[in-house]
Amino acid sequence: MVETIKKFPTEQLKCWNEAKNLRKSYYENYLNAHEKGGVRWAGGAWSFSSIPAGLGEDVYSLTGEPYGATIAFFKDFTAKCHEATEAAGFPRTLCAYMRNYWGSILLDKYILADGKVIDEHPAPDFIWQDHICCSHGKWYQVARWLEEKKGKKVPMYCVDVSVGYPMDKPLEEYKINYIFQQLNDGVEWLEKVTGREYDDKLLCEAVWNEINATRLWADICTLNQAVPAPLDEKSMYSLYVMGTIMKHRPECVAFYEKLKAEVEDRVRRGIAAVANERFRVITDTQPPWGFLRIFREMEKYGVVSLGSLYTYGLIGMWKYRPDGTWATKDLPPRKPQTREEALRMIVEWTVDRPEWAHFYLPEAKTKMMLSIVKQWKVDAVLLHYNRGCEGLSVHIAENRHGLVEAGVPVFPFEGNMGDEREFDLLGTLARLTTFFESMGLKKLRE
Amino acid sequence: MICLRIELRLFVGSEKYKCGDFIFFSSNLYNVLGSAYLVEEIFQKFKDWIDNRHEYAKEWKERTNRKIIGYFCTYVPEEILYAADILHVRILGSHEPPTVTEPYIFAMFCHLCRDCLAQGLKGKFDYLDGIVEGQACLHLRQAFNAWRLHIPVDYAYYIYVPHSVQNPHATPYLAQELAKFKHSLEEWIGRKVTDSDLDRGIRTMNRNRELMRKIYEYRKLDNPKITGLEAMEMVLSSQMVDKEEHSKLVEQLLRELPNRKLNRNPGARLMIIGSEDDDRIFMQNVENLGATFVIDEHCTGSRYLWNNVSPSEDRLGAIAERYIERVPCPSKDWPEFTRVKHVVNLAQEFKAQGALVIQNKFCDPHGIEIPPLKEALKSIGVPIYPLEFDVTVPWGQFRTRVEAFLETLTGLEDLF
Amino acid sequence: MITAGVDVGAKYAKIVLLEDAKNILANAKGIVGFDILKSATEVFQKALDNTSLKRDQIVHVVATGMGRKAIHMKPPINAGEIVPEVIADAKGAYHLIPTVKTVIDVGAEEGRGVKVGENGKVRDFVINERCAAGAGTFMETMARALEVGVEEMGPLALKSTKAIPMNAQCCVFAESEVVTLIHSKTSKEDISKAIHDAMAGRIASMVLRVGVEKDVALIGGVAQNPGFLPPLEKELNTEILVPEHPQYVGALGAALLALEMEAK
Repeated sequence: MVETIKKFPTEQLKCWNEAKNLRKSYYENYLNAHEKGGVRWAGGAWSFSSIPAGLGEDVYSLTGEPYGATIAFFKDFTAKCHEATEAAGFPRTLCAYMRNYWGSILLDKYILADGKVIDEHPAPDFIWQDHICCSHGKWYQVARWLEEKKGKKVPMYCVDVSVGYPMDKPLEEYKINYIFQQLNDGVEWLEKVTGREYDDKLLCEAVWNEINATRLWADICTLNQAVPAPLDEKSMYSLYVMGTIMKHRPECVAFYEKLKAEVEDRVRRGIAAVANERFRVITDTQPPWGFLRIFREMEKYGVVSLGSLYTYGLIGMWKYRPDGTWATKDLPPRKPQTREEALRMIVEWTVDRPEWAHFYLPEAKTKMMLSIVKQWKVDAVLLHYNRGCEGLSVHIAENRHGLVEAGVPVFPFEGNMGDEREFDLLGTLARLTTFFESMGLKKLRE
Repeated sequence: MICLRIELRLFVGSEKYKCGDFIFFSSNLYNVLGSAYLVEEIFQKFKDWIDNRHEYAKEWKERTNRKIIGYFCTYVPEEILYAADILHVRILGSHEPPTVTEPYIFAMFCHLCRDCLAQGLKGKFDYLDGIVEGQACLHLRQAFNAWRLHIPVDYAYYIYVPHSVQNPHATPYLAQELAKFKHSLEEWIGRKVTDSDLDRGIRTMNRNRELMRKIYEYRKLDNPKITGLEAMEMVLSSQMVDKEEHSKLVEQLLRELPNRKLNRNPGARLMIIGSEDDDRIFMQNVENLGATFVIDEHCTGSRYLWNNVSPSEDRLGAIAERYIERVPCPSKDWPEFTRVKHVVNLAQEFKAQGALVIQNKFCDPHGIEIPPLKEALKSIGVPIYPLEFDVTVPWGQFRTRVEAFLETLTGLEDLF
Repeated sequence: MITAGVDVGAKYAKIVLLEDAKNILANAKGIVGFDILKSATEVFQKALDNTSLKRDQIVHVVATGMGRKAIHMKPPINAGEIVPEVIADAKGAYHLIPTVKTVIDVGAEEGRGVKVGENGKVRDFVINERCAAGAGTFMETMARALEVGVEEMGPLALKSTKAIPMNAQCCVFAESEVVTLIHSKTSKEDISKAIHDAMAGRIASMVLRVGVEKDVALIGGVAQNPGFLPPLEKELNTEILVPEHPQYVGALGAALLALEMEAK
């Protein structure tokens, strides 16, 4: 490792405040949805959120994983949520996001993006969920059960997407059809439970927005191939989150367009996220949300985390080009015009989601990670063996195996994205810095 | 023939005999004694099959010169494998710490999936020609994929069994998945699997399940004719041997069981609820404390055998329907809690007084259902006690808890 | 040129005084108390006393181990550099066994697996995560449960011929299983063997993450336990070499690194 310690110019992101405000108003809009006769639903970040959008312009959502992560930022509140969930008899080895979320319902509290905790957890008007990991459908099944105990009956619809991943060839028509039929039935169900008339035009808009937002995010991530990297993963979390809460919204598309332009400008001018970038890493699975300072500790060694398959592919849409490059997925030929077109289009768009590959084929994820290592000029991979999420940790040992076989230095560390009791910050930092030193990097500054 | 004109009222088995029936009495006594002997022999056979499962499989292979497939989850459609003349055996663990799996499966995934993989890595299942998995939980699919990637097998297939079993599109979808699977099998074995083969597969599987379900009826009695351990061994062995052989034995058991009198006090009537449970030592230990597991709800028990295929022209559709509509694994049971309702029904049907919930550490789908289960069973007066299981079980600690739990069950009777 | 390596572990501080990468002039060991600097200084002085050397004759000192920061640039030891344990382990083991490719270090609180490359450099490593019953303190706790001295545990285990599987994912669970075995009148020999097997399984599991390549060396305090090597060799299915004075290998590695740094 050549020890040339450059110093790159850095700049705060101009659209940083806009990101914060978008997220802040998202949580407030859900809370205040009923005030103006609006409708609110709860479901996962992967729920086909463009479908309920057809119910009107005043439809607001609370996606579970980002809310679970928000809770995890504020450790006092997290601890209370855990206490409540465990007192209710749920094992503590369950998905951490889910436990945080249930805790919020049990405590009958709602936490906003800035950490303010208010009384009364706002129950959704309906649940619109999708199921891929063992917990997805059950998360909201229990949430509904908990709401019922408080006297609120919440209808629930959950779409099964467990059809496999189109790694080397497209999925069979009957698989696409299976998801399409569920969504189609779902539209009728939405009309029934809300009493609203469904607007196919709004659906088509929402689907097209989602496709564009997810493309834009992939474009933004691609810009991080530059040296120095214009963005670091810790900052990216505050930016990709928009895709997890409102990817079907025009505000999300507008924001990503703005962000992309800004990042392109940063690349042109050689603006770095980390001033003394000299070692590039990627991570994997969600980070330990309560301990993001590990990224700042890394920077003291001149290490920048460029992102991860998680940051890039949870929301971003990617596909392999014929020449073997992993790049932004191509736009469909035209905007959908009918309900059927829109539903089919969003299914075909979504099944390529990179973060869905490893649920079935560990080698598919290893391949994508190796592409990132190559194309983004990555020096090492930090794998978060995340006890809080079996969905994203499934097959992670195989991924480690695959990366090591390919000669990539890998540093695995155990932790939990949402349960602060299961993350040993000092121990992990000690091991991490040992890893950097074994790579020949000494600390640059305190 | 000596006819003793003495009025003897003898009660043997369920029949009352008078002196005039002396000859019949003596021959029936022989039958009863013979029965008792036969019943014990049958249960011993189940045990032998389990304890020597690998020897059985190897011997079967040599004898028939046919293929053997290992499967991980009960969502694999055994009817189709049977139709293809393949012996299908369930891969299970050994209850020893699975050290060798660390490079392939993160230790926070349940001990079952790691234990299963460990058996493969240690060569215990060398005789398998292939492995098949029916999509269910995340944990087991790692065992399947790690096996596929690192242990040489001739054939490996993953059936995308849908999770949304409560939606009407699941059955036709699964039928198409099964058609694909059947086609893949045909290519591997080099012959077509005909409708008549499928009928045979359905018949054989149905028969085996039906027979075992009939045996379960004898657990409903005030004095159950079989213990929970015996029932578990009956079902467990069925997952390891040729179904026809197994059915023959269960058929015999069905004939002999009415005559059986278990020389034990049934004690508290317990239900055992869990995911995959094959901890026979635990079953025996609990039953030795003064209890009988009169019913179970887990997939090496009733969940495996509760539902049959309704034969129809559309064989694959019929098989698909069975697997969609069967008692579900919690990972597939949403948005309604149908399994919880089924557990309540079972508890009532079999008159369980209490339930032990065996939670395999790290199993999300089953762990999630503990509070709803508790509430539902409480509403019919059946208390539960959850115990966390890992690859080995700390019986010393569990004993105290189980004893205390049993006391709360029977203690109440004494009070009132 | 005389250099020193100081390994301030969780329980013991170990010192090696080295001359020209060849002669080990002295080694010394002592318990680390609450005041780490004080304890390490006492042990350092013990080593000096054994050789009649003075501190200013030691050209360079490198510290490793959990407590290394406490003596970094702090008189009188004044360790000029600190290195993580895995780096020192690899260096020390490579010096003693030039063909070594895998080093397993089991100390009081931590277990480590290190893959060694050219010139004793670290290629890959793994350290036990929080939930692990694979360290010396575990053995001490179990010895207390069996009411024997910790040094008796190994010989007891070697006398047993029975294998009882025990879960060692967690120290606390393991202890409850031991209590169960005691109550079911299992012999101390068999229980001790079960504990050693469980611990070896834990360590083996961790090492398998980085893979096993011959030659394999076992170092650290636990390497002195004769009951630990057989089950570890069995789990990893390979012969394992234990150098003389296994507890000092880390300190030796640090002393060698001190020499390298001084040469630069």
